[in-house]
Amino acid sequence: MGLRTATAVLVGRAVRVAARLRGGGSAIPGNIALKIDPGFLERTIARIPDGVVAVSGSNGKSTTTNMLAAIMRQHGLTVFTNPSGGNLPQGIASALLSEVSVSGRLDSDIAILEVDEGYGTRLAELLKPRTVLLLNIQIDQLNRYHEPDRVAAMLGRVAASATEGLVLNREDNFLVDLDQRIPARDGRAVSFFGGVPALVDAASHGVASADRFGDSTVAPGSRPAAVEVVALEGARAALDIDGTLVSVKLPARGMHYALDAAGAAAAARSVLGDRFKPELVTRALDTLETVYGRGELLEVEGEQIEIIMMKNPASLQLNLDSLEGAPEQVFMAVDEGTPDPSWIYDIDFSALDHVDGITGSKAWQFAVRFGYLGIPVGSVDLDVKAALKAFLALPAPTTGHKVMILNYEQMMLIRKILGFKELEGGGQP
Amino acid sequence: MTLRILHLFPRLLGLNGESGNVEILRLRSEWRGLPVEVISYDGGDPLRFDEADLVFIGSGPVSAEVRAHPLVLGIGAELRALASDGVPFLAIGAGFQLLGETVTLEGGEVLEGAGVFPVTTRHGGIRVVGDFVVESARLGTVVGFENRGSFVDVGGHRTLGRVVYGRGNTETPGEEGFWEDNLLGTHLHGPVLANNPGLADSLLDTARSRRGLSYIDAAPEALRVVDDRARHARETIAAAPLSE
Ligand SMILES: [Zn+2]
Repeated sequence: MGLRTATAVLVGRAVRVAARLRGGGSAIPGNIALKIDPGFLERTIARIPDGVVAVSGSNGKSTTTNMLAAIMRQHGLTVFTNPSGGNLPQGIASALLSEVSVSGRLDSDIAILEVDEGYGTRLAELLKPRTVLLLNIQIDQLNRYHEPDRVAAMLGRVAASATEGLVLNREDNFLVDLDQRIPARDGRAVSFFGGVPALVDAASHGVASADRFGDSTVAPGSRPAAVEVVALEGARAALDIDGTLVSVKLPARGMHYALDAAGAAAAARSVLGDRFKPELVTRALDTLETVYGRGELLEVEGEQIEIIMMKNPASLQLNLDSLEGAPEQVFMAVDEGTPDPSWIYDIDFSALDHVDGITGSKAWQFAVRFGYLGIPVGSVDLDVKAALKAFLALPAPTTGHKVMILNYEQMMLIRKILGFKELEGGGQP
Repeated sequence: MTLRILHLFPRLLGLNGESGNVEILRLRSEWRGLPVEVISYDGGDPLRFDEADLVFIGSGPVSAEVRAHPLVLGIGAELRALASDGVPFLAIGAGFQLLGETVTLEGGEVLEGAGVFPVTTRHGGIRVVGDFVVESARLGTVVGFENRGSFVDVGGHRTLGRVVYGRGNTETPGEEGFWEDNLLGTHLHGPVLANNPGLADSLLDTARSRRGLSYIDAAPEALRVVDDRARHARETIAAAPLSE
């Protein structure tokens, strides 16, 4: 440690406070701390007694990391975790800054870290995870990684870095046999999670796993699962954990959330061994708050607005499938945070019977898509504030809530706009 | 009186919403009163190829391209016959490459193509990812998304147009794709026809005139609405194109 670590921590914290006051820039303090003391992240993490669990995959990382952290806390462990989306080295370093002492000590038993699949290889070197939990490989961010095969190769390297436990989704075309495609390691236990075939098949678009071409010989679902989703009703699921049935609350309806819960339980089981108690999974998930921005309900002037995040094709499809009936009022906002929305031609939008308003720089591309689908579009307005205002002015729907389908960047912007609106209206700051 | 679209390898080649192109061709014809039948071909015997009025093949990752390669070679003779018969082709990305003469992979391996398009492809170089704007002499501004790690040599043949934003066929931005007579190949990937209905209509017109088929109502209201939206989409992209 010494002076360099102390400087990194103190400067990083000062920047963190400054960044907060300006309202944003959560990765900046971590970046600066890493510049002053490049070994800061690696060294601090290496001293955590129960080590690191890395959670990665195309979709559901934040939800599952949150679930797994809650399960560990129910087992009495002090957990260090990174906030949703802070899954690059600088984001993790930023999260560390708020928790370490000036000497660089962290008072946690275990680190549960969401890891970006693109940085997985580099992060695995830095974090040396004992356990790796991999959720899925979906057609996600093709503009960044281009090909599912490349994402699979990257996640393979993350998996290979696990020293004690590797936990895989057996319903995923690429993950079902990933353990057999990486070098074996003495002392590494491999376990799987999944769902009973009836539930996996019934999820109207399966589990939205990317197609795998070429060498696949192992059918998804064919590996024995330590944790299996056996029933699904509304926003609750039943998990079979080594023969013990437990009921868990999900963030919202949907088989993908049930699989996230199964993955979290399987990872906890792998890490804790004899210390793991299945019934604590119920208690942990039943008290969990919804992760920021997914299935979230915003209250605006007495009206409930359900936010559906359009993170990638798979998550949008699963969220559309889990809607109960076509929403009475729907608003969409998509901008260059989704550089290439070509995949909207692969999405089944039949859960919608109309869209009231579309905004964001990709709005016209969505309007064309809905035109060919025969889904009426109320208005297209690239001025986000004006479009939002018009949507909020619609009479309150009988179902009690409006729905907004937003990409991440537009979700952040719209939250900000709605916040300003409250201020102007004399509401609380 | 039905127009038949042969959709090649919809499962293997169709990564970026590219089957949307087939849907758009079908709807643009049907809304005008000319029914369409889509014949999907994923391998096996090339049944009913001789009935095709229009051929579409999409793109995919290199792993899918390598896997599709022997299947495409297997129907090469049938596809060359259709092409010389004047049947319009729309070929995108990996599909376009496989319908060319050769595809040289990054490791140096050379795949023989189906020889429908007189072009050769070389994989490698810096990948370009971003909005793509092309100026076509026939259609005006054509927009889309470019995501490619390869170069296409079209020799002295005519192209879809001049690159305004993005890279195009060669290392230095110049021209994009191949477009001569009934053959159109491009790396404007995804549902390129969505924002560029002029391209769709041009393909449909070539197909119709070959068979002497006509529309009942050439400009129905529903099409005017989507075409107006597509014009806005083109203008939005062309006004502020972005890339990585
Ligand atoms: Zn490509």
